[in-house]
Amino acid sequence: MSARNKPSMNAVEMRRMKASLSVIFFALLILFSIWFVEMDIFELIQSMPIFFHFLFTDFFPPNISDLDTYIGPVVDTLIFAVVTTSLSSLLGIVIGFCMAHNTTPHPAVRIFFRGIIAFLRNIPFLVWASILVVIFGVGTMPGLFALVLFGTSFLARVYAESIEELNKEGVEALDACGASYLQKIKHGIMPQFLPSFYSWTLFMFEINIRASAILGLVGAGGMGSILKQTMDLFQYGKTSTVIAIMVILILMVEYVTNRVRERLI
Amino acid sequence: MSKGQMPVPETVLVKEKAFAKKKIPIAHKQTRRQQQYFFITAGILFVICFMQIDLSFTQFQAGVARIPSVLEMMMQLSFAELPELASEMVVSLVTAFLSLVLSILLAVVLSFLAARNTTPNKYFGMLLRFLFMIIRAIPATVWVLIAVASIGFGTMAGVLGLIFPTLSYLVKSFSAQIEEVGQETIEALQSVGATWWHIVFRGLIPTLLTSFLAITAFRFEMNVAESVILGMVGAGGIGLLIQGYISFYDFSSLSLGIIMVFITMFTLEFMTNQIRRRMSH
Repeated sequence: MSARNKPSMNAVEMRRMKASLSVIFFALLILFSIWFVEMDIFELIQSMPIFFHFLFTDFFPPNISDLDTYIGPVVDTLIFAVVTTSLSSLLGIVIGFCMAHNTTPHPAVRIFFRGIIAFLRNIPFLVWASILVVIFGVGTMPGLFALVLFGTSFLARVYAESIEELNKEGVEALDACGASYLQKIKHGIMPQFLPSFYSWTLFMFEINIRASAILGLVGAGGMGSILKQTMDLFQYGKTSTVIAIMVILILMVEYVTNRVRERLI
Repeated sequence: MSKGQMPVPETVLVKEKAFAKKKIPIAHKQTRRQQQYFFITAGILFVICFMQIDLSFTQFQAGVARIPSVLEMMMQLSFAELPELASEMVVSLVTAFLSLVLSILLAVVLSFLAARNTTPNKYFGMLLRFLFMIIRAIPATVWVLIAVASIGFGTMAGVLGLIFPTLSYLVKSFSAQIEEVGQETIEALQSVGATWWHIVFRGLIPTLLTSFLAITAFRFEMNVAESVILGMVGAGGIGLLIQGYISFYDFSSLSLGIIMVFITMFTLEFMTNQIRRRMSH
């Protein structure tokens, strides 16, 4: 704490003081949080056994009597993910090119899209989904639109970031040859950008599988709706079957996308 | 990145003089074929799947017709709910923060047990990695639903439910870092006879601290987004209010809630970016 008395403090002391100050800050933050939500640490520790007891007695054994009725929603989830990923990658690539500073047609266009995309992306998609449920009514449509909205905003951002990271030499050389805007994009940007395009699009597909699994919670169709239904009826055996299917589906999709990614890049 | 080769304009120009009008293929052949396969498969899949979805045009029209009136209602901002919204926003932030703190404590230990090069027992490490792979595959919202069903509504359920996905994410990223960076340090320390504790606490944690902090900052951003969602399934926080406004068609308060979420998330994103930039120096 003698920082003011000794202005010529060496770097080690300085760093040590910074570290201890941040530790104190975090400790205060934790204390404040515990006080604010009136959380009782002992209650949390006590609730752990209840939670695990619940998890292992009520959820096991899985009830597989309705297995064939789950096939429809699983296929729906996959179809949903394919359609929304394709639509949002199409929209995302157009907006992404408008957003990246080296390919944007006009700086004003760039700022306009940046603002909109930042707004869309920073609101959790379940909020969009439930607003869209109010507008379009219960069913697959609000879920579809919510996923497209979310996917487009995510992809536009990451596409734009990877376009901005590309090296400029190729485009400059094409510029010197007098290439047009579209020629520059086709020959200068696209070949370099494609690997990250594949990678992010496949990643989006994974996210969409997960997201469409929980969209049903706000009444937007898919696997989430059977999950909610079984939980509301306290049929936890069936819930665990649905969760198991979800896990298998997600892991399978992850495996497949990883294989595709390895082949392409 | 290596296959997507850049056209080299000079040679193109030289060759263009030689063969006046003949086009010269400059793209890598195999890459081009792969691209064609990828896009054709994606296109076919899209068309097939799009046919399967039954979207009714009348529903779409009715929905689009409803948008202007909903937007108009949302434009009438009302600040009546501001104090309540602000305090619930803090609850969401605190939920995210507390679950992150608890997960970090567990993850620092577990990631060293799970990482391939520091695990004390090979099969134990494999078991841990498998377990966390399954935990990670279950969405955070589902974990919170289970927590709500077991210990009742409230912040506690949110904290408890968020611990699982956060912990599994942290263990995965931490152990990936350990496997990537740690090998040389471990070998150096092993050659002078260090024990497991020495390797972990004297060798690895000091070197990996900055990258761990960067991962944690990124995860905090994700956790806040999750904890906003969690309210919508009944675990306290701002999501609960937002869900309430939506079901009571209270659009003027809803838009204030959305703006609040946006400002919070935007500030957080800005802050984590700053932290990451400073760490990379």
